[in-house]
Amino acid sequence: MSRLRFVLTVFILPVFGTLAKAEETYIPGQPIDETFESLAAGFLDRHCIECHDDVTAEADLSLLELGPVDETNAAIWKSVWAQVALQEMPPKKKEQPETIERLRFADWIVGELQEAMKDKGGFTAHLDPNKGNFVDHNLLFGKLPEGVELVPTSTPARIWRVTPQEHITRLNELINTEPAYDPEKPGLRTRGDVVPTNHGGELKLYFGTDRIIRWEGGTVAYATAVKSVPVVLSSARKHGLENYPDFYSVNSAEATQIMGKAVDILKYMAYGPLSLVGFPEQITDDPKSYDKVKPKGDLRGLPTAIVYNTEVVRPLTPVADLMKEEAYTEKQLREAVDYLFEALTFRPPTAKESRDYLTITQDSIERVGKEDGVFMGLSAIFLDRDSLFRPELVESGKPDEHGRIMLQDWELGLALNHALRYIRPDQELRNAIVEGRMRTREDVEREVTRMLEDDSIRKPRVLRFFRDYFDYDLGGYICKDNAAQARTGAPNGNGHFRAMFDAAASTDRLVELILEKDQNVLRELLTTQQVVTTNSDKTYFGRKLTPEESKVAQAEKRAADKALAEALKVELEDVNAKLETLTAKLKEDDLDKDLKRGLTQEKKKLDDEKKRITRDAKRKKSNINTSVEMAEFSGPRIYARVSRRSFGTGSMKPDRQLATAPEGQRLGILTHPSWLVSHSDAMDNHAIHRGIWIRKRLLGGGIPDVPITVDAQLPDEPQNTLRERMRVTREKYCWSCHDKMDPLGLPFEMYNHAGLFRTTELGEPIDTTGEIIESGDPALDGPVENAIEMIQKLAESERVEQVFVRHAFRFWIGRNETLNDAPVLQAAHRAYRDSGGSMKALITSLVTSDAFLYRTREEE
Amino acid sequence: MISRRKSLQTLASGFGAAMGSSLLPDFGQAASSAAGGPKRVIFFLQNQGFDPKTAIPSGMKNTGSLAGVKLPTPISALEPFKEKLHIINGLHGIHTSPSHSAFFGALGGYRGSDGVPPSASTIDYELSKVLPETLLPHLCIGMDSMENMKAKPTVANLSASGAGQPIFMHSNPNHLYQMLYGGISQGEIRKQHEAKSGMFDRIEELAAAKGGNLPSADKQRYGQYVDGFSDINGLREKLGSVSDHLKDFAPEVDSRYTNPEFETDWHDSLLDLGISALKSGITSVLTIGSGRGEIFGAWKGLGVEQQGHNLGHMPQPDNPIWVKIRQYNSRMLAKLIEELESVPEGSGTMMDNTLIVYTSNNADKQHTNGANWPVMLLGNCNGAFKSGQFTQLDGKRPINALYTTILKASGVNCERFNMSEQMAAKYDSGSGPLKEILA
Repeated sequence: MSRLRFVLTVFILPVFGTLAKAEETYIPGQPIDETFESLAAGFLDRHCIECHDDVTAEADLSLLELGPVDETNAAIWKSVWAQVALQEMPPKKKEQPETIERLRFADWIVGELQEAMKDKGGFTAHLDPNKGNFVDHNLLFGKLPEGVELVPTSTPARIWRVTPQEHITRLNELINTEPAYDPEKPGLRTRGDVVPTNHGGELKLYFGTDRIIRWEGGTVAYATAVKSVPVVLSSARKHGLENYPDFYSVNSAEATQIMGKAVDILKYMAYGPLSLVGFPEQITDDPKSYDKVKPKGDLRGLPTAIVYNTEVVRPLTPVADLMKEEAYTEKQLREAVDYLFEALTFRPPTAKESRDYLTITQDSIERVGKEDGVFMGLSAIFLDRDSLFRPELVESGKPDEHGRIMLQDWELGLALNHALRYIRPDQELRNAIVEGRMRTREDVEREVTRMLEDDSIRKPRVLRFFRDYFDYDLGGYICKDNAAQARTGAPNGNGHFRAMFDAAASTDRLVELILEKDQNVLRELLTTQQVVTTNSDKTYFGRKLTPEESKVAQAEKRAADKALAEALKVELEDVNAKLETLTAKLKEDDLDKDLKRGLTQEKKKLDDEKKRITRDAKRKKSNINTSVEMAEFSGPRIYARVSRRSFGTGSMKPDRQLATAPEGQRLGILTHPSWLVSHSDAMDNHAIHRGIWIRKRLLGGGIPDVPITVDAQLPDEPQNTLRERMRVTREKYCWSCHDKMDPLGLPFEMYNHAGLFRTTELGEPIDTTGEIIESGDPALDGPVENAIEMIQKLAESERVEQVFVRHAFRFWIGRNETLNDAPVLQAAHRAYRDSGGSMKALITSLVTSDAFLYRTREEE
Repeated sequence: MISRRKSLQTLASGFGAAMGSSLLPDFGQAASSAAGGPKRVIFFLQNQGFDPKTAIPSGMKNTGSLAGVKLPTPISALEPFKEKLHIINGLHGIHTSPSHSAFFGALGGYRGSDGVPPSASTIDYELSKVLPETLLPHLCIGMDSMENMKAKPTVANLSASGAGQPIFMHSNPNHLYQMLYGGISQGEIRKQHEAKSGMFDRIEELAAAKGGNLPSADKQRYGQYVDGFSDINGLREKLGSVSDHLKDFAPEVDSRYTNPEFETDWHDSLLDLGISALKSGITSVLTIGSGRGEIFGAWKGLGVEQQGHNLGHMPQPDNPIWVKIRQYNSRMLAKLIEELESVPEGSGTMMDNTLIVYTSNNADKQHTNGANWPVMLLGNCNGAFKSGQFTQLDGKRPINALYTTILKASGVNCERFNMSEQMAAKYDSGSGPLKEILA
């Protein structure tokens, strides 16, 4: 648009726009049928151009020439949308648009961007969970202004790709029998729990490890020799909610790999470890019997190094029956097809589906024989749409007066199952589906209540929500610079990474313990003094000594080492003296035979003792830690969920202790190393990420994307603290956003980047101050002394609780909330409040809401 | 979200190769993406470390020409190709944690370790996206002990198409042959190929039928899934449609495939298949993992009775076992060069447009901190790279800089590969390509 044209337009439009405003009504979700000239130009002129013309050009941005949305100006319009939707613009001191005017303008931009970018990769930013907070919190939980008319909510019909965790857990069910729930040892991995990542943080499916009774070599030799396959389905997101239906598909590489894996799985289903070994003798309860035939030489790292016991522990299924003998019947083949179809899609096949896969398998058998043909043919079921995507298509229901169709039968049953579980519906839910008792809101309430009350029905999706929400499970994936890590007082290298994977499992367990009580869940998570620990947590939950204390500790250590050395010296002299006497005695000629034997034995003992003392003198040092005041833990022994044996004797161990955090140093899981390290980088804390986390996940605020022109780097100044280096973010251009994150992240400077508590940094007392600003709750706003004070304030806030509910909504409904979801969110929050902060009540409210139950098919 | 382009590029993984979207391979006639840059790149990673003393001519301490000096015994097979050789000493990979193998980190230039998933794509995959398009831009083969290759014919330890997205290596030559040359095969391989083809066609039909009634947004996303089968089936058809051409390159399936005496029979067969994929123009990037990126592996066919981890504990220089393994590698490199030299391309041969990168996924030795990561380059790509020389670097630039250099030569302008400025402040004394190796 030419400047002249724009000037003319804005000359006319203010009057027109003002007139239109008074009559406006706003129905969320309805397309805004306006043009640039009829809506946007006026808004820009009234609220933006004053500062963003070519004379003032605040933030180097002139909107004077900005015309209708198109491909070339899409980035600017996206930025305008973010600023307006988040109410960052117009600035607070300027006159604000009416709520409806703002909403319509923001919706219009989104609509136009979708249209303009349709063939150019599309515009989906508004669907991203990171942008969920763009919907005004006060409108969702407060009173709506006049003119806003909500319509009964529903969710678009859709298919939802299974997650990597879900997929691996589903496949694991085919080949491994996980232990039943043991109420005496809750926390141990149990059937229905997610397959955990291994010692290195990799998600893998393991074959036959529950039958291994011997292997050769150490940890790496074991890891190489056992059969395992990595996850295939990808998950590109690192932080936050990672599983909206519209994120993922399955690409050809993944499909091809799934086929390859399927054959391995089917063979194991048929033959167990026999499908893994080179020699049948490897399957024995007497490993020595294998030694008679095993190949000579170094077998470490080879499949032939493994001995499996003979106990059949894998699930015995129709696939095993089919492969027992060479001959087979069509009935057997069909049973295998039907069994596998339900195991992979969680529902029985239709007659056509059963027939289709039977035919495929029969064709394969005809071409390449039974053995290869069965495995090849059945592997096709692993690629059925419903093995990889869960449909919520409401193809057969009747729309209500709002055009919504309620999920029912298998779609509803599986939607509910998926809300909590990774494995297929239990028998009761299956019966309810098959018998037509999964069709109403009450049906859902009945089943969800039953499942939530039964601890033996594992609910990994609930835990997944907390991982997604808190992001406490990323610490093991954050690379650490060796020198920077060494300065923290925590272990370095693999010791640190393993400790972080252990820490994620420990935090999982802590979350579950809080969920067991199910009271004030969020507040408890934010303020609990309980910690679930391993031995290495004595360091991670410890306190980094100040330089002065460290010096004292070093002196003490030197003294203790010296005392130890002297004590050993005395011991050695004593032993030497005894040896001398004994040696002399042994040289005597007239020694009795028995006496000589006794003296010889005694001498041998003294020789051994001498060796020990000499060895200790070289190696033994006092255990005074000169860097860290270790945390002291006491409490009952408990368990955490860890991978199957993946690294020989170096595999993760489930043993944990339920203890109390050192007093005054920690408060809730945001102060635990698992969360702190997950929000750190190679060299230091990541105060900005931590601040963003608080702003988005607790305060419900949004932060516009970093402008592409910004070189987001802090200066490399090892002599300065992070706070000092962050001065660059306080420049005017950066501070308009960073003022909402940095002061929320800097209070966590009371911990170093390995999560240890500290009182000094670079030899000076640590500055842990921060501030909550523009939180939306005036009672929260104000300076804080440190993270503990800030968390205490936040944990008491109703707004924070509401924001938590918003995130739970996104997780369980699988999309961002809209204003039409306000009644659902309010009801969910009420349910949570009225129940004293019960997660069960919150989940029940969400999965019985219209947003969960109803789907809308787009008009054909 | 997985884009269609990405989906096409990573079809590889299941097959051990990536697939491009061109209808026909270019058979070596594609325009290079950068003047004088490579049209194809081969990565050869021997496990357990690459001790520089097994490659640097005796007495050579400083950068200089290789003319007139004798290559050490372990790499003497490369003597006839000395003018194409560039031995580089003094890169580092400290940040990749390479002790016991950096796994994906070796080609990714980031931290890797046993059980650690890839945190980003690797250089071989990235190159497969930018080099002249071929049917299967990326093929990975992995050589190991016979037991491991049979029990685990595909593993993924070295290459990745993105964070958490490993690319599998092929280790069973029979499977790989079926994939590449099933259409021109005979007997049992043909039967298997046809059965699988029929099944994939049927799966595609079923998948497509279940996408008929989806909402429009999902149609596009689900369409990627169905298109994936079109890619798989399409690849087969495309390979089939050029079968006359492929016949000239397909190796003969002999007893080494079906009845191998030693694991090296399969190693040789895999190499033959890799070479045939390059020569026939099916592939532009070949990744060879000798030892498959782990700390084991076997070479009984060379008379090496010891295997696996112990090999890594031995010093390599003057060690008869390591001399044999390195000589075997060198013979493979020589074969690659000779075979590529035998195919005319432009005014020269395929080798004129090929870069071979030989190194280890374990830096210089098995238990290493990665302070030195020796590399040999073979081929100068029409003068894009310096060759016929030894270069001693100061140990302050990471292997990422080498990958940046290859990207640059391939027409991609980037300052760093998989390294943030923050990491670079600690681990890279410079930025951009290694000037020392670009002509």
